[in-house]
Amino acid sequence: MRLVKLLAMASALTVLMASVAMAGPVFDRIQKEKKIRIGIMTDSIPGAFYNEKGEWGGFDYDMATEVAKRMGVEIERVQVNNKTRIALVQSGQIDLSVSNMTHTRERDKSVDFSLTYFFDGQKILAKKGQFKSVKDMVGKKIATMQGTTSEVNVRRALKEAGDPNAETNVISFQKESECFQALQNGRVAGWSTDASILVGYAAKTPGQFELVGDFLSDEPYGMAMPQDDSALRDAVNAAIQDMWKDGTYKTIYNKWYGPGTPFEMPLAGQIEMWP
Amino acid sequence: MIRYWLEKTWVQNAVLISLATFAIYYCGWVFDFGYEFKWSMLFTRNETYGVVMGAEILKGLANTVRISLISSALALLLGTMLGLARLSLFRPLRATATCVIEFFRNTPLLIQLFFWYFAFPAILPDNAREALFSIQFEFWCATIGLSIYTASFMAEVIRAGLQSIPKGLLEAAYSSGLSYFQVLRTIILPLAFRAIIPPLGSEFLNNMKNSSLAMVVGVAELTWHAQQVESLTFKGFEATSAATVLYLSLSLIISFILNGVNGRMRLDTAPGRSIPVLVVGALLTPLGLIRRMFIRPVTRALRARRRAAAETTYTPLAAMLHQLGGHAARAAALTGKGLFVAMLAGLLYSVGKGLLGFQWHVVFENLRSLLIWHFPTGRPDEMFLGLGGLAYSLLMAVIAISVSFFIGLAVGVGRSSSNRVFRIPCLLYIELIRGNPLIIVIFWVYFFIPVMFGTTLNVFWSATWALTAFTGAYLAEIVRTGIQNIPAGQVEAAYSTGLTYLQAMRKIVLPQALKQMIPAIVGQFIAIFKDTSLAFVLGVLELTFVAQGINNRLMIHPMEIYGTVAFLYFICCYSMSVFAARLERRLSPEKVSLRM
Repeated sequence: MRLVKLLAMASALTVLMASVAMAGPVFDRIQKEKKIRIGIMTDSIPGAFYNEKGEWGGFDYDMATEVAKRMGVEIERVQVNNKTRIALVQSGQIDLSVSNMTHTRERDKSVDFSLTYFFDGQKILAKKGQFKSVKDMVGKKIATMQGTTSEVNVRRALKEAGDPNAETNVISFQKESECFQALQNGRVAGWSTDASILVGYAAKTPGQFELVGDFLSDEPYGMAMPQDDSALRDAVNAAIQDMWKDGTYKTIYNKWYGPGTPFEMPLAGQIEMWP
Repeated sequence: MIRYWLEKTWVQNAVLISLATFAIYYCGWVFDFGYEFKWSMLFTRNETYGVVMGAEILKGLANTVRISLISSALALLLGTMLGLARLSLFRPLRATATCVIEFFRNTPLLIQLFFWYFAFPAILPDNAREALFSIQFEFWCATIGLSIYTASFMAEVIRAGLQSIPKGLLEAAYSSGLSYFQVLRTIILPLAFRAIIPPLGSEFLNNMKNSSLAMVVGVAELTWHAQQVESLTFKGFEATSAATVLYLSLSLIISFILNGVNGRMRLDTAPGRSIPVLVVGALLTPLGLIRRMFIRPVTRALRARRRAAAETTYTPLAAMLHQLGGHAARAAALTGKGLFVAMLAGLLYSVGKGLLGFQWHVVFENLRSLLIWHFPTGRPDEMFLGLGGLAYSLLMAVIAISVSFFIGLAVGVGRSSSNRVFRIPCLLYIELIRGNPLIIVIFWVYFFIPVMFGTTLNVFWSATWALTAFTGAYLAEIVRTGIQNIPAGQVEAAYSTGLTYLQAMRKIVLPQALKQMIPAIVGQFIAIFKDTSLAFVLGVLELTFVAQGINNRLMIHPMEIYGTVAFLYFICCYSMSVFAARLERRLSPEKVSLRM
């Protein structure tokens, strides 16, 4: 009897799993449910973060909200971090990831990207007056965040500057705050990531830290979504272009990076427009 | 009819094999994962980055092995010292050991590592800090932090082992004229270690798995490298599978060696019977040879000299020297004690000064967030009305422990069943989960359960289910030992009165076993509460994550924030462990406390 029950249960499970596995394209599902799940970071200032009252906000947060509004669907915000953002897109748990993510060709093999919606570049933050360029930092330790393009870039930059121990001189932490703390207590001589993030941290302790040298790389941010769903990609791209056209983009940009904000940064590029 | 057939071993084997074949066939050919497997990425050269990903993961393995070996050796040494100190007659030493053990046992390793890495250098003088930073600080910080954590657990195991030595044996040893150190070396430690090898062994295993946390301070060990490969290639399934296989093999090797050591040291089994014993014996042969060739002649010569010296007459000068030596030893012990007390006072003074220098307003301003986040004024897309922080951690632990209790019960009973159809799947579940670090289990549940079942899973629930599955495996082992401790005669008596297997389990075995298991289960609850801190990797709003977020925003008060967090974890865990100790005392009143 027990064996029969076991077999019956196994076959029932089989049918159940097979039926669940069949899911339609993402865009159709979003339109049907009238709901889009967007992954947003929670600890990246001023991209997306919790403020002192515990409220979620930031540039990416506003962009995500606006994209959902323009697509005419309700938004479901999902917390992601630099560890989880891509895997969630791949496994279909989120439909869109707006989480300061650089568009690279390697990443493009696994997920699709929207147009570039933010123009950033990677720099190094260090104690004021100690270094002039990356060349001066050869042999010094530099902090980065694990799982980011900055980690790969800073290793390459150190190697190009002639550091034989570039591999061990880059120390990877899990969070921005940890990189900054390592820089503060002197464990590392520099911290390298996207300039917009560095500027925000340097502003917290004015006069102590400065950006070193030129940009190590361009970091064009794209919104990531599941591979091969061109209807979704079109809808997101159209939303971004419309935001640029009617000035909403500038409003959001100025709210976080405009003059007078702690993260002041001139707008470096222009969103690609299709006629 | 079915029961008759199921008792035959070949039927059980056939059922198991057909189930396995079916599972492999189904996952391999029928089920659509919606994910493109590319196992070749592990051993072919990646064009973009110019490295072989599998080789990177092996580099991580080498680091994990290095950390585990060094930290377990240190932990054993430190744990023995703490365990002995815990039983010392010198009260300040005993109190310090108790405080150290309780503090490190009852705060999450994660928080401890943050402290050692980020806060500890800040309180050192400049030149000491520079000296510290000139070595491989990440590696040593993780290794020593890990060994202190493990030592605090080992100390309790060792203390229990020491207390299990019959009092009469010690009295006999002292009355035969042996000194304290001689008794320690020849009687206490050998007997105690022989008794505690199994629990000590599981601490070695835990130590290896906990080394996965070294990644938070930037050490590139196995988990770190697996995640690195994932973020470089987005082939998370392959990378995590590789890490899992490596962790499982490490766990198996450690258990194998420990079984061998246990078999060799136990007196009731004839040595040289099982394979592990033989292998450990073979490994130890060179050591034994060295000992026989070099050390034994020396000791023999020394002993002969001592004996010759003893045969000469005892002169007044020798007597005076002996007496002086005795005085000197006593004086040294006294100064040692004095120095220890002075050091303790200095430490307490600097801690007190540090606490007074705290920006307390930072703590109080953020206390609410740390405790309950912004409950009950949360946003509509937040779970449980915006609950978070400590309350969230507790909620996760309560859900995990109450659900996993039933899993543990079922799997534990299945594990101790004589029928292979039940025993082997249960064994697989237990060993698969227990052989991996919690952080890997969390990643599996988070990334792959939704793919398997085609649903979305919120971070809170996936972390909670991972904790549940993890705790279930540990509880199953607790249940199994509980069941095995029930005398076989009881079960036979139950069967002979006509009860069925299920009735005998429900009415005779489990009630008795559960009573014995209660302290261990409370201990597991403490462990799982601490382990909720690992959910931070997914961004679950539990206490550690909230603390990191606040720290991220304030940036200049890490001591205040992490100090408060450590205190909060400690208060919760310590009150539970006091409760567990009280339960244990009530359930086993015959234990007498022994001092040395």
